[in-house]
Amino acid sequence: MDEPVLRVRNLTKTYMQGKIPVHALNDVSFDVEKGEFLSIVGPSGSGKSTLLSMIGLLDKPTSGSVFIDDKEITKAKESEVPKLRREKIGFVFQHFNLIPTLTAFENVDIAMRFARIPKNERKKRAVELLTHMGLADRMKHKPSELSGGEQQRTAIARALSNHPAIILADEPTGEVDTKTRDMIVNLLKKLSEEGHTILVVTHDTAVAQQTGRIVTMRDGKIESDKKVMS
Amino acid sequence: MNNFDLILRNVTQRKVRTGLTVFGIALGIFAIMVMGGMSEYFNRHADRGLDLMSDKIYIVSESGFFGGSLEDSMVSKARHIPGVFDAYGLLYLPYDMESLGMFGAFVVGLAPDKQELTLKEIKLTQGRLLARGDSYRAVVGSNVARQYGLDVGDELEIKSKKVQRTSTITTARNFTIVGAMEFTSSDFDYMIIIPLDIAKKFYDMEDKLTYIWAIPEEGVDSEDLSRRIELGVENVKTISPQELRKQSEQMLMVMNLITISAAVLAAIIGGLSVMNTMLMSVSERTREFGLMKAMGAEVRDILLLTMGESALMGILGGIIGIAGGSIFIYFMNEYLATMGTVLFAVTYRLMAISLLFAIFLGTMSGIFPAYRAAKMRPMEAMKYG
Repeated sequence: MDEPVLRVRNLTKTYMQGKIPVHALNDVSFDVEKGEFLSIVGPSGSGKSTLLSMIGLLDKPTSGSVFIDDKEITKAKESEVPKLRREKIGFVFQHFNLIPTLTAFENVDIAMRFARIPKNERKKRAVELLTHMGLADRMKHKPSELSGGEQQRTAIARALSNHPAIILADEPTGEVDTKTRDMIVNLLKKLSEEGHTILVVTHDTAVAQQTGRIVTMRDGKIESDKKVMS
Repeated sequence: MNNFDLILRNVTQRKVRTGLTVFGIALGIFAIMVMGGMSEYFNRHADRGLDLMSDKIYIVSESGFFGGSLEDSMVSKARHIPGVFDAYGLLYLPYDMESLGMFGAFVVGLAPDKQELTLKEIKLTQGRLLARGDSYRAVVGSNVARQYGLDVGDELEIKSKKVQRTSTITTARNFTIVGAMEFTSSDFDYMIIIPLDIAKKFYDMEDKLTYIWAIPEEGVDSEDLSRRIELGVENVKTISPQELRKQSEQMLMVMNLITISAAVLAAIIGGLSVMNTMLMSVSERTREFGLMKAMGAEVRDILLLTMGESALMGILGGIIGIAGGSIFIYFMNEYLATMGTVLFAVTYRLMAISLLFAIFLGTMSGIFPAYRAAKMRPMEAMKYG
């Protein structure tokens, strides 16, 4: 756990609200090492979700850089972005964001289709991941037939499918009960112990306390960056 | 990336919407099949007619087709013009004397020894051609045979009318069918051929003829010969095969314009229907497309998915429209045949054009919605909850 998989340098994002500039991110810098389980906390409007979308290539910063595996993704051409998203990043969203017409298996499979992975390999990997998530008997069910926890575990399996360098989770426990929340956090913790780098944005201090490091944001800046002793 | 299963799933899972769109396209294609079927029939009819007439020069009265009649003496005059291989006269009268003569069967008075020159490769489905010495005998075209249910040996009543001062005298006579022609998709399907001498007597037109057909000798330019006939025979006008083709093409152009207009209208209706569905589908699936992009989908992946859906709906609509149109045309032709006419023809060309048009329609209508879907920012996936 010593090589930085993610490096954020002087990241700034300024929106214009009418004629007034809003500094959503203001000169943010930090490193994340491989296998780290890190949470970004802070009040609404502190810039944590903006930071996540910059790292996830969902939005472009006004200035500054993001490096994943030494590749400066903020300088990537538009045509390179899909490939970087597939290879470097796995997303887990608050609203699960599974495709409602597809089964759990197909929701995992589709992410690998975009990576042009052969069908046999996709099938093997999807079964392996869903089994690992404890969903071996729920693979053929559609999201509407799955519980919140099962949906989020499917979303995590999908995020892992293309072996990303980093998993970005935006409020992954925002829509589940406390029991499911604990289960999801434990799962993420286990994944980080297996070597996956996980970055979680959360409001929930109970979730943050379970991670190895807490970055607190306020007014677009990092207020504190502390390791959590477990 | 082979995503046909995903395309198929999206199309089949939104049953009502897919059904309505496919129905919209099918209606458009149905209209193309019916209008196109009519156009195909007229095209074929004109082509066959022109084939059969390609070696003949029409000689009509100077005042035109319906203006008056020709005289027997003109036949020999025409025959003596250098370059004319043969010339013979015909009487051409509507079977139903009350009709305007635009539709329905025609009685054609033709000398039996000129039948082969006239009918060329047309075969008989039963019986024989008229023979020298036949009196009240007739050879009928396929539509006439179907309309009146005629077989060899049956009798067909033909009426003639003579106007005498204030009264009209109608004479009816039974003609025995000696032969029936195959379906030719030409005017011959509507003909009742009877011996010319009998026709003249029966219609009281002893010295009269409706047309004279002149056959040029081999190697003679028919345009040139037409002009020479006009100069050599008084009070006649000629229509060369080239002129006949020109007139026929002008008529067909009108028919084809009607078909194209119907096709364009069908395209607009069908296309708008697919575009509307696809736009609705894209806006409903904003989150899904944004999510796919967040997962690393390329613009072309999403374009292929959405355009694939609209193309598939085009194919489905096309198949249903072609099937529906073909069934409609089959029953319409059956029904019309009992009234002695045929109006439609389904050809492989028409089916291929209809299907290609349906696919084109589906795909083109899907382009704009697909582009909108593909250009969607993945951030929207996070915002749509």
